[in-house]
Amino acid sequence: MNPIVMALRGLYGVWLREITRATRDRAQLIGGISRPLIWLLILGVGLNPYFRGEVYGEVRFVIPYTYLQFLFPAVIVLNIMYTSIQFAVSVIWDREFGFLREVLVSPMPRWLILLGKVLGGATVATLHGALVLILARFADVTLSLEQVALALLLMFILAFGLTSFGVILAARVRSFEGFGVFSNTVILPLYFTSSSIFPLDPALTRAQQAVTYPEWLVFLVQINPITYAVDALRGVLINFNQFAPAMGVGVIVAMAVVFFVVATIDFARQ
Amino acid sequence: MKGGRNRWIQPAINLLITVALLTTLSFLPPDTSLSDRQKTGVLKLCVPPSYPPLVTGDPQQPGFDIELGGKVAAELGLRLAVNTLSSIGTDFNPRNWSLTRGQCDIIAGGVADTLQSRSFLQTIPTPIETGWVGVSKSGQLPAAGGSVVVLPGTSGLDRLKLSGWLRQQSRQVIPARSPQQFAETLASGRAAAGITERFLTAGMALPEGVTPFWLDEAQFPRFRMAFGLWKGDQTLKRAVAAALQRLEAAGDMAALEARYHIETIEEAP
Repeated sequence: MNPIVMALRGLYGVWLREITRATRDRAQLIGGISRPLIWLLILGVGLNPYFRGEVYGEVRFVIPYTYLQFLFPAVIVLNIMYTSIQFAVSVIWDREFGFLREVLVSPMPRWLILLGKVLGGATVATLHGALVLILARFADVTLSLEQVALALLLMFILAFGLTSFGVILAARVRSFEGFGVFSNTVILPLYFTSSSIFPLDPALTRAQQAVTYPEWLVFLVQINPITYAVDALRGVLINFNQFAPAMGVGVIVAMAVVFFVVATIDFARQ
Repeated sequence: MKGGRNRWIQPAINLLITVALLTTLSFLPPDTSLSDRQKTGVLKLCVPPSYPPLVTGDPQQPGFDIELGGKVAAELGLRLAVNTLSSIGTDFNPRNWSLTRGQCDIIAGGVADTLQSRSFLQTIPTPIETGWVGVSKSGQLPAAGGSVVVLPGTSGLDRLKLSGWLRQQSRQVIPARSPQQFAETLASGRAAAGITERFLTAGMALPEGVTPFWLDEAQFPRFRMAFGLWKGDQTLKRAVAAALQRLEAAGDMAALEARYHIETIEEAP
């Protein structure tokens, strides 16, 4: 058999295993539903009245969207973050129960095995992100087919980068318990400092932003790569960017490339 | 083969349940804005005293926005209550208009669907377009160094961009506080031309021979006029938007445009 076809069949096999495992796992799907429900239906609706203003012109939340619309792309990123980074559990599982050893002795190159796993994780994470799109009607976000297609592409590249990041984390954490705690200390700070739940008004200068928010918070938001991922999705889904639109796409692609290269190096060492 | 097919049944069921659940939840009302109006039976529309042809002050032909508001209210099974507030448009800062949620469900009669408007309100565009227009006898603005009287209006057009452009073109700007002052400045010859918002010219007594013309669209894009609703009133917004679509499909919108002689963008102003 042609070695390229063999490699592709191996890649498909590893990818399919990840997909099958994730879609059969009801707990993962429940997580994929519960996050958008908590963040959009409860937090979004709960805080919406505080961002609407009671007097025309008095609204402090000066972005041309409602809070639910503003929050909507961020919840997609949150779902992708959780699913992608939690995917590392599958790597730890495979390592602990010997499956990884069996795969590693196959003729497939290690980077290809990792690519199959990461593609599988990224596909599942994109699916979880896409579940949030079903709630677009609730958040009053009108989407065209082009917007959905572009958003799915960005979501997949982001999921690819974050899944690779999960593999990097898994290489440094040896137990399931440790990973659970570690992943939460990574995901939640990254999410909260990504301008996901409060805006950095693009009309304000850095000095003006420092009046609204403490400078250290503005600094954290600006150095957080997830900020630019959320911003890129906001650009596509609600036509609102806080930074240059190309910057978000650039950061997402850079994350995918850099994290996959580092993950490949780590994976080769295992 | 059969085993391979069976392998996907469980994941497919899981996914279908998930999608069905989320789809069902997406129909939950995110707020009480529509149900509150239905309880009171009244839809409150806030307008300025005059903004022809959108608000005329004439009981026989009250204006495009008022008649449209009445039709929307009827579609929703509500009674329209028009609140004419002289504070609307008195200041470029809408905060000084003192419009509150208690007074208005919808703000109309001069709200343009611009970024600035959408910072404070959520908007539903109507078919009517607005933008910056120049007015002069020659049909163009004077050369660099010439004087231009400017009445920015309050519909939410980008006044900062306009003032920056005028500075860049080295034109002398004479600010006007009212349509009357705008027309007087033009008539006195102190300004060779004027710049204002499209519909403000409709209510002015412009000097004879003066004609309005659009400013360059590449520099100054035109915007739709809109109904402005409070941010967060999602259910009311959806109901009003759906009612407007029904009115458009039934031809009521076109009939109103004809009744108020609102020309297409090519023919106007």
